[in-house]
Amino acid sequence: MAVARKDLTSEWRTRELVPALGQFVVLALVIANFGFQIDSRNATTIAPGVLWLALVFAGLVAFGRAFAAEREQASLEAMLLTPASAAAIFAGKAIAAALLLIACEAVLLPALALLFGTPLNVELVVAVLLATVGMAALGCLFAAMVARVRAREVLLPLLTLPLWIPFIVAGGQAVQVAMGASGDYNQAVALLVDFDILFVVLTSLAARFVLDD
Amino acid sequence: MTRYTRLAGAAVLLMLASAAMIFIYAPEDYLQKEPQRIFYLHVSTAIAAFACFAVVLVASGIYLRKESAAADRLARAAALVGVVLTTVTLVMGSIYAKAIWGMFWTWDARLTSTLVLWIIYAGYLLLRSLAEPGRQAARFAAVVGIFGFVDVPIVYFSVTWWRTQHPGPVIVTDALPPQMLLAFLVTMACTLFLAGVMVAIRYRIETLQDQAPAGAPATVLAQREPEPAR
Repeated sequence: MAVARKDLTSEWRTRELVPALGQFVVLALVIANFGFQIDSRNATTIAPGVLWLALVFAGLVAFGRAFAAEREQASLEAMLLTPASAAAIFAGKAIAAALLLIACEAVLLPALALLFGTPLNVELVVAVLLATVGMAALGCLFAAMVARVRAREVLLPLLTLPLWIPFIVAGGQAVQVAMGASGDYNQAVALLVDFDILFVVLTSLAARFVLDD
Repeated sequence: MTRYTRLAGAAVLLMLASAAMIFIYAPEDYLQKEPQRIFYLHVSTAIAAFACFAVVLVASGIYLRKESAAADRLARAAALVGVVLTTVTLVMGSIYAKAIWGMFWTWDARLTSTLVLWIIYAGYLLLRSLAEPGRQAARFAAVVGIFGFVDVPIVYFSVTWWRTQHPGPVIVTDALPPQMLLAFLVTMACTLFLAGVMVAIRYRIETLQDQAPAGAPATVLAQREPEPAR
């Protein structure tokens, strides 16, 4: 918790990541507008895809930065010297990064609803938030890993994106249904919850091996 | 001739034998005609690839528990062979799909999850080549190896509920005529042997590389006793 507060405080003081991410997702929507011929008929079929693309790449940026400060100031070693367990430090980092991504979603979802004319409802928000939990757990684990490897900007997406696919499969379906497509919303959300539990447990078990040295 | 050369030779002969089984012994399929013969090697390489990734999973688990360098080398060797076999599976499957379905690719559960499998382990190999060799790289890779193996069945089952075109299992359901079944079982046994030999050879290479002082592969080559000419 203290780790999460430290990260959020430093973000609040510098305000470097959230505004950038917010602009980034709005830009993604603008690009989607030029890439697709969007009108009122096809907006709801295209919007879920645009949402996940924007979210996934914003997530990569957010998690990639999660360990940047620690790397630049070599403060991870100092944190590991404290009595806090590696899993706790990792959980703190993951919570902070997840909250940053949620802040970015708070820009993305209304912007999507506004610019694409798609519905913005509770089902949509729940699905996106549930996916964020698991994506943050996995994203932070691999960000911690690649922080100490060469070519980390290339490696982070390569390792993280395939492991995020379960969340995008289930979240993608839930969002499509929330925007009016036919399908089983409850089943997709139940899957998201299952994946969240599974990957949060697995990543907290693995955190020890990634952070310790 | 070293032990490895002999093993490799045996594997090649076995693969030629299974080619004979596939093209001469097995009957032509009534519906799919000649392209059906891709099936034998396509399924065999897929099973062999899964076996390789299972080895990666087990070896990675052992490495995280005991930090044994041998387990790490085994994981590296099996991951490389598994990626090669998955590539073969995907390419042969695409050709098969073009012949039967009329297109190279479709976003089917089995196809998608196999592609994800390939991407995950290709990333594993990339991580190995980019990370500084040592304990940390081995640990990171072991974590990727374990997560990768967990992820694939999830992708498979999560997409299988709404899109499918790839045929289901034909072996366990006893849908094959006996001659085809025999040809398939022989091919599968030979492919598994080939995969085993490739892992063994790769394991030997990894061992030699680990023993070599960093950045001096030439000295290892020089130290090797010259092989007698055949």
